Amino acid sequence: MTSGSKQIERTGARWMMLASSLLAVVSFATPAMSQGAAPMSQNPAPQSAANPSNQPPGENNQGGYADPIAAFNEPMFTFNLKLDDWVLRPVASGYATIAPQPVRESVSRFFNNAHVIPRFANNLFQLKLAEAGDEFARFGINTTLGLAGFFDPADLWFGLKKHPNDFGLTMRYYDIPTGAYLMLPFFGPSTIGDTVGLVADGAMDPISYFVPFWVAVTVATGSGAVQAVNYRSLHLNQFEEADRYAIDLYGAVQDAYLQIRVQDVKKLHDEQW
Amino acid sequence: MKYMMTPTSIQRIIPRRAIAMLTVTAALVVSLAPSRFLAPAWADDAMSVVQTTVNQALEVLRDTQTPLVQRQDKLRQIVSTTFDFTEMAKSALGYHWKQITADQQQEFTKAFVAFIEDSYLSKVNDYRGQQVAFLRMTTDGPQYAEVSTDIVEPEGKDPIHLNYRLVQEGATWKIYDVTVDAISIIANYRNQFNRVMNNQGYPTLISDLKSKQAALAASLANH
Repeated sequence: MTSGSKQIERTGARWMMLASSLLAVVSFATPAMSQGAAPMSQNPAPQSAANPSNQPPGENNQGGYADPIAAFNEPMFTFNLKLDDWVLRPVASGYATIAPQPVRESVSRFFNNAHVIPRFANNLFQLKLAEAGDEFARFGINTTLGLAGFFDPADLWFGLKKHPNDFGLTMRYYDIPTGAYLMLPFFGPSTIGDTVGLVADGAMDPISYFVPFWVAVTVATGSGAVQAVNYRSLHLNQFEEADRYAIDLYGAVQDAYLQIRVQDVKKLHDEQW
Repeated sequence: MKYMMTPTSIQRIIPRRAIAMLTVTAALVVSLAPSRFLAPAWADDAMSVVQTTVNQALEVLRDTQTPLVQRQDKLRQIVSTTFDFTEMAKSALGYHWKQITADQQQEFTKAFVAFIEDSYLSKVNDYRGQQVAFLRMTTDGPQYAEVSTDIVEPEGKDPIHLNYRLVQEGATWKIYDVTVDAISIIANYRNQFNRVMNNQGYPTLISDLKSKQAALAASLANH
């Protein structure tokens, strides 16, 4: 624990400051914003058609999700499927044949470790000090003992668990409407708010402060592509499986994404003391 | 079972004649009552319904000696007694259920049941000896319950969280939804069906459903 951890500490302190200021902004913005716009993605348009008295719990969504920019989303979804079909899956399965699974899992851990800052910061934004502390400690341990994050001794030896978090979840945590469903090219399912979160989390990447913008973007794109290939290689049958059981794949992906986001933020609320 | 009394202890409390009367009345009530009231008051709670069903299913999955077709038939039997497929079909169609005719409702239910059954059966081949842990039961009012289970994956992998949502119908509990890692399967199909109903209409929905089911059935037959 020498200069490396000092560097982390300094970054940590900087983030602590930024976190508190951002938190102030967020808490002021919340009431104003929730008055301004309706949470479209979670507000099914035909809800009134339902019979609320005769409904199982958790079943208040009797139609589907509102999808005001479906005209954009649907072609993007097709684009992503083609991209996967023609590029991502072939590359990932080729990569899977040369790199054994434990190696690919290690690579996935490496990227996970490198992306500590958004997780740390967003846990902090939600005043989850213990979780932020865990993430901080995990990064320190896994970067050193875990050989740059390829291994996870923080969990194996110290029982420090991951606390995934992102800015989109922070917005949901404070009930900020996340806007319409949005299918992003390359990145996949999102919402307007989650896309803002994606940009915010990306901007937290420290590399962007030290090199010119175009270098940062190139590096981010390159590492993003490697991550995508690595991820896909670990989930080779995912889309094929999903398509087998889907009547409308677009709708299946949309619902799964939105349900997961709601569950994630519910978990964040539940784990509070 | 602990509530059962021995005949002698009952006789001490109630005279013999009264017992005879009661027996006759009970026999009459039982023979006249619709079958769903027959289930005894101490009937299984949601947890034991899920445990029984899952354990029966696991037994079939583990029995690799029996031919696949027979195992699938057996699984179909097991799930058909505890899953309320009609309610599932209705719920998956959401408010569109009321927009289609009674004949279409029947046609849709039949197609959806076949589709869900075949989806479930096609998982038979994926079974790799995983264990199931029954975690807990939570209730939502007297009528609804959710049973949480984990499918324990091999070392190092996260378990799959499989929850069963049950509704009490008469004295029995029926499964009306399943969640996989907290994603409600019925809600997921509801969003899919809603899109097809809004964009193309019922004829497309039913033909898509039937062709997907046929594809699943064909892949089942090939194994």
